[in-house]
Amino acid sequence: MNKLRLIIAREYMSIVGRKSFIFLTLGMPLLFIFIMAVPIGLAWLNDKGSDTQQIAVIDETGRYAAALKSDDMYNFVAIKGDTVTNAREFYDKANGSLDAIIIIPRDVDSTGVVNIFSEGTITPALVSSVRNVLSDTIETAHLTAMGIPNIQEMVDKAHVDVDVRSITWSEAGGEQESSTEAAMGLGLMLSIFTYMFVLMYGAMIMNSVIEEKTNRIVEVVVSSCRPFQLMLGKIIGVGLVGLTQMAIWIVLLVVVAMVAGSAFGIGNVSPDAVSPEALASAKDMGAMEAIVRETLSINYTPIIVGFILYFIGGYLLYSSLFAGLGSAVDQPSDSSQFTTPVILIMLIAFYAGMACMDNPSGPTAVWCSIIPFTSPVVMMIRLPFGVPFWQLALSLGLLFGTALAITWLAARIYRRGILHYGKKASFADLFKWMK
Amino acid sequence: MAYLDINNVVKRYEGHTALNGVSMQVEQGTIYGLLGPNGAGKSTLIRIINRILAADEGTVTLNGKQMTDDDITHIGYLPEERGLYKKMKVGDHIVYLGRLKGMTKADAVASMHWWLDRFDLKEWENKKVENLSKGMQQKVQFIGTVIHRPPLLIFDEPFSGFDPVNAEQLKVEILALRDQGSTILFSTHNMASVEEVCQQITLLNHAQVVLTGSVDEVKQQHKKNIIAVQSPDTIEPNPELFAILPPDPVKKQDTRIKLASGVNVRDAINWLNEHYRLTGFTEVLPSMNEIFIETVKSKNTENNE
Repeated sequence: MNKLRLIIAREYMSIVGRKSFIFLTLGMPLLFIFIMAVPIGLAWLNDKGSDTQQIAVIDETGRYAAALKSDDMYNFVAIKGDTVTNAREFYDKANGSLDAIIIIPRDVDSTGVVNIFSEGTITPALVSSVRNVLSDTIETAHLTAMGIPNIQEMVDKAHVDVDVRSITWSEAGGEQESSTEAAMGLGLMLSIFTYMFVLMYGAMIMNSVIEEKTNRIVEVVVSSCRPFQLMLGKIIGVGLVGLTQMAIWIVLLVVVAMVAGSAFGIGNVSPDAVSPEALASAKDMGAMEAIVRETLSINYTPIIVGFILYFIGGYLLYSSLFAGLGSAVDQPSDSSQFTTPVILIMLIAFYAGMACMDNPSGPTAVWCSIIPFTSPVVMMIRLPFGVPFWQLALSLGLLFGTALAITWLAARIYRRGILHYGKKASFADLFKWMK
Repeated sequence: MAYLDINNVVKRYEGHTALNGVSMQVEQGTIYGLLGPNGAGKSTLIRIINRILAADEGTVTLNGKQMTDDDITHIGYLPEERGLYKKMKVGDHIVYLGRLKGMTKADAVASMHWWLDRFDLKEWENKKVENLSKGMQQKVQFIGTVIHRPPLLIFDEPFSGFDPVNAEQLKVEILALRDQGSTILFSTHNMASVEEVCQQITLLNHAQVVLTGSVDEVKQQHKKNIIAVQSPDTIEPNPELFAILPPDPVKKQDTRIKLASGVNVRDAINWLNEHYRLTGFTEVLPSMNEIFIETVKSKNTENNE
């Protein structure tokens, strides 16, 4: 037990103390922010840097051109429809001072079609802006034309977004409101977390095993402890590294969210400054509140307990697999022949999880959540929707049974593999070593 | 009762037998040479003693008791293929190896300081292993092997990779450990070092013991009744007593005579003394190197027939 603790501590410190770990841990969120921020920043720079476009609006109806308001990007110049007979001629005459011409045809009320002409590119931003403004304006005009007083208010009142709430009857007869969307989101998050964690740190364990082998330190170490202790120490040590890294990322995320929150002044809206935008965001807040309420309505205890159990089982299963396979190769470049099948199984689990999201009680979902190699990922998707007890018990029993069996087999491979040098081991060799 | 008693150990792998009934007794406080060509089974035997591998048959007893996993704390093992964690600091690394062998942290730290001082590596304590020269890394490995003062030490090719100066220092340390009571099992191809430090040897070939005994006994057993004679005269062969061998390529001035069977040294020397002017004579004993090659070769021919 003492030796195991020593091995865990060494493994943990050897990774956490490395400069590359610190860079990676702090760099990943920065990279993520960078990836998110760059397109936004570039788009902003793009808009900022371009000149105001001169756009002539030929309004044959004479009623709608005024709705298009000029701003930094577009300068709309209204031109009476009857003064222009040929748009092309008009454009050419402008001698390059025009970027585009919008023609609102006389029959726009019935056809709903507006044309934009240009020699250059017509940006999607211009198209969508024109579409939105003219749609609203023409719609309002139509409503007004009906001559019914307060029609606008009536239409607004009639407008409805249907919110579907799902209520689950518990066996005890109680009712519980739950949100499928919040449950799906949570399940997806947990399953992606398990998937990423197992892949990332499984690979780390494998590298650590190969490194000890190439270093030739391994024979000295296994003359001081059992190979199984060394393997288990590695699995636990790297697992703790993973949890540390995750914890740092979560703390960073919270800090960034808090800093961003205070910078943009969320929660600081004074009653005097109620602008239409603020009202709109208040509406969004209402939706947010609903999501928060629904999220809170999910029963977390089984999900958290389930997550911990599946996470441990899945990690043990795959990491011992990686450790066993890592022991069979001399250098990282040789490892792909063994890792490919394992990664393939993980991918299948991941896709099975995605496929089960629409129908978490379907046969694929049920089977994949019981088969040990896919259950840690798939069950996470199903768990927030509620899973019958017998399935949960069977799945967990199988998972832990298999994880222990795989650990035992991996330890047998490991014992032989770490002292095997030279000739590249094949799968047949691995089976021989298991005996 | 020998300190380390290996009794009829058998180890089989798929397709071949690595050890076929090997027995060996190592007395306490001696240096025991385990010899043999590549693939003879030395490393397998050493790994069985270290409990890295399990024997299929036979027993290994240490100090009269069947060995268990807990006994590995009584062993210091320097494998032939050895290495260190490159990114660890020298001091931390040595302490880690000591603690893995069951030392307390304080003991391990104290012992580490003592040994670093002894090998003039004090200023390297907080440097990473990768910054050390190969020779210094070998010294760190040696310290890692002996830090817990084990009663049984196993060295597999300890001198490989050492320059003559460091090899000499290592030899002195090994002899000092023996004088302090450690029992040392020593596996090597370097026959010169066997003659210098080992009292007993066992020669393995093709998974079996082909030769065992004290270095002196083995040499006596393999002597060819050859005498190197120094004389200003030219000695003629005497078929009843001896034949003349071609001169040794190194000591050309000596005349080498091989005694006829049944003739003892005294009779031959007396006769020579009467007929020639003798200035000196020495009995030529075979070197361990010659014995090694001869034994391994003859066994191989036997096996091939």
